Amino acid sequence: MTVAIKMTGRLYDEIWRDLERPHPFAHERVGFVFGRIGTRDDGGRLVLLTRYHAIPDAQYIDDPTVNARIGPEAMTWAMQAVYHGRPAREGVFHIHMHGYAGETGMSKTDRREIPPMMPGFQSVGRDAAHGIIILSLDHGSGWVCLPGNATLVPCGNVAVIGKEVKVFERGRRA
Amino acid sequence: MTAERFARQSFLGDDAEARIARVTVGVPGLGGGGSHIIQQLAHIGFQRYVLYDDDVVEESNLNRLVGAEARDALAETPKLHIAKMRILSLQPHAIIRGYACKWQEKPEPLRECQIVMGAVDSYRGRRELEIACRRYLMHYIDIGMDVHGGERPVIGGQIILSSPGGPCMTCMRFLTADKLATEAARYGNAGGRPQVVWPNGALASTAVGLAVDLVTGWTRKNRSYAYLAYDGNEGTLTPSKTLIGIEKYVCEHFGDTDLGDPVSIPL
Repeated sequence: MTVAIKMTGRLYDEIWRDLERPHPFAHERVGFVFGRIGTRDDGGRLVLLTRYHAIPDAQYIDDPTVNARIGPEAMTWAMQAVYHGRPAREGVFHIHMHGYAGETGMSKTDRREIPPMMPGFQSVGRDAAHGIIILSLDHGSGWVCLPGNATLVPCGNVAVIGKEVKVFERGRRA
Repeated sequence: MTAERFARQSFLGDDAEARIARVTVGVPGLGGGGSHIIQQLAHIGFQRYVLYDDDVVEESNLNRLVGAEARDALAETPKLHIAKMRILSLQPHAIIRGYACKWQEKPEPLRECQIVMGAVDSYRGRRELEIACRRYLMHYIDIGMDVHGGERPVIGGQIILSSPGGPCMTCMRFLTADKLATEAARYGNAGGRPQVVWPNGALASTAVGLAVDLVTGWTRKNRSYAYLAYDGNEGTLTPSKTLIGIEKYVCEHFGDTDLGDPVSIPL
């Protein structure tokens, strides 16, 4: 099963502007971006990102063992948003940024902390795709849980359809 | 490809070649306009294509179908085959997904494109392509030409860029209810429209220029829309007057969240 992610340039810029803001105590920011499913060739799926939610400063937890940790209010908000997005099969993606250039992947902390959120999202929005997106300074990577499947599938590419088209391919530098 | 091949287009940027190679372009319709488009895309270095055409070469196409020869009319060679051969002769490693049907019959591959370049004959066809491009997040670049009048013919045409989040062809007042209704009323009685090679060439070249700019950003214009009107008698391309004030316009015809496969909601 092949999966790709697309977003507009305007949404990409909005995400960037938020994630690069310094936080009062967290070392990085986290956000939620929402996406709907499209069918691509050979049974593959597209995830088309629709809107971004910046997590308020107060919803972070001061935890020096990780770069950023969000609290229960942020998670509750995300779960409610998934619930309300059920008619449109709109799922949620945890998104953050790594501050270096080139293709990026999940860090050890990312692997430990973020994938366990997916079953919760799937239990609320079972017909939607949920996942993880990590941007770098000039690239982006995504992993998607498709409906009815708990496995995170790596995306073949993340494309930005903006005033400048960007195609971030898995296994290739930007 | 060797660096020498692209030496004369190095002004497009250090990484332009790689950027161009990663983009997938859809071209539904490989006739007079589409055949120019794919040839130029291949020259520039585009490697990934989704092509559609269900037609074969006829003698009446030979006045404008780039790549077609007299023997193709005799053999009724599919236009899709002509396009594939043209691309592969310039880009032997190109990845071409070609479909001998209308794009509406097999729309899924088109959705994977980042840019769609349409050279279709009808307003309705343009509207359907634009809807698909908005729903599945693709830039849509449209070209078209027409010849009006009898004794003193006038050649007109357009190149339009309709991008997700930007003004659409209705906002730009190219697609109107009147045009769609008039076209629908003469359905089945349109006849063969006049078409010649040089306006198609001019329009396709400009459209390919827009596509290259979207991928490389070499002009720094940061365009999210364009509507260039072609006057084939004067040989000019000018921004359409209907664009005046459009930079402040918010598209009301396509919502930012109306994306993906339509979902039926039980009432």
